Amino acid sequence: MVKLMSDLKSQIIAQLNLQDVKPEEIGDDQPLFVDGLGLDSIDALELIVLLQQEYKIKLSNAEDGPKVFKTVRTMAEYIKAHQAQNA
Amino acid sequence: MNCYIRATGNISPQLTAGHPPFLAGPLQEYTGTRMNCAEPDYKDLIDVKLIRRMSRIIRMGVAAATECLQEAGVSMPDAIVTGTAYGCLEDTGHFISRMVSQNEELLTPTAFIQSTHNTIGAQIGLMLKCNRYNNAFVHRGFSFESALLDAMMLLQEEEAQHVLVGGIDEITDYSHTILSRMGLYRRGHASNLDLLEQPSRGTMAGEGAAFFLVASERSATDYARLDGLATLYKPDGPAVIEQKLNSFLEANQLDFSDIDLVINGRNGDLKHDQVYDELKALQICPQVSYKQLCGEYPTSTAFAVWMAANILKSGDLPPLLAPSVAEQEKINRILIYNQYGNIHHSFVLLSAC
Repeated sequence: MVKLMSDLKSQIIAQLNLQDVKPEEIGDDQPLFVDGLGLDSIDALELIVLLQQEYKIKLSNAEDGPKVFKTVRTMAEYIKAHQAQNA
Repeated sequence: MNCYIRATGNISPQLTAGHPPFLAGPLQEYTGTRMNCAEPDYKDLIDVKLIRRMSRIIRMGVAAATECLQEAGVSMPDAIVTGTAYGCLEDTGHFISRMVSQNEELLTPTAFIQSTHNTIGAQIGLMLKCNRYNNAFVHRGFSFESALLDAMMLLQEEEAQHVLVGGIDEITDYSHTILSRMGLYRRGHASNLDLLEQPSRGTMAGEGAAFFLVASERSATDYARLDGLATLYKPDGPAVIEQKLNSFLEANQLDFSDIDLVINGRNGDLKHDQVYDELKALQICPQVSYKQLCGEYPTSTAFAVWMAANILKSGDLPPLLAPSVAEQEKINRILIYNQYGNIHHSFVLLSAC
């Protein structure tokens, strides 16, 4: 889980071109949107693509988005759950 | 018509960003076949959160527009008008190549969203929260001229009092390769400082982002007054160009003897520079060129307007530009004559305020 969250942080920085942000500066439970990392709706689309590209996970229900992309931890938990389902 | 250039912002292959003294330092030398812009530190001009999504041309355009607005002290122009022939090529190339490499799947939205020709004008509007008139002209070698004409008409028809208008184009590796194959650029390495002294086949590629705040009311700090603009598409020989030029000057109650300086668009390409030689009527005027400074690109007239505005503000020609004509009297009236590929010909007339 720790490794997955660390990977996710690097991938988010690369995908969203977050300049001057280092992986260790993103908290596991820090909100990604609005007050936290300050991401917006275009970034949400980029994160959906990131999940598909890196983890072959297609977000089937758009209403899950706010819950899945709340923090790095919720993203990692969603990936883990999906991987367990498909194991 | 009252159209005053109140402020400028220019990012070009020369050190023009940040309003340093006009062409005071040594000219930037480029060897090869392209002249890329000398870019400033964008963090001083654009919010870092916004920079991350911007490709190079968007940064160049937004930064030049920001510098222009800051100099003018205007936070909310009545209109934003941009001209670009190629648009946001880097994002377009990025998006299209991903479509191919990823078999039209898993395409990220940012490059697509940012790839349209009106991105820069739209981005400036978003940053300023300016919901007013916002238009982008994509007319090849007339893109900037069309934007400028629109700005002048907005002022003349009293639709606006302040218009932010700019011309922007970039070189990317893709575009440079494609345009090189079409024979636009020289083969082998040359220096931009010798571009006009050693005419040959082809020229050097250039790029730039130049913005102007034009206003209907005169102010104490204006650079120059824009008196007129005319375009001519695919003229059938020099006689047609001269005829158009004569009628343009006549419409402004002028003749060639009233022009203190001509800024011509020579680019060192034998094929196209011949057009300037054939215009005998122009030869009586002192002339300087500008594409040795910024290279050739479809909206380079914007660089020439920036140059003319600065010359008229100071009244002098920088010795770096043309040592042979630097000793003349104060320059009060400038005619810019540029042609792009001998297809798009334009005349811009400016005078001192």
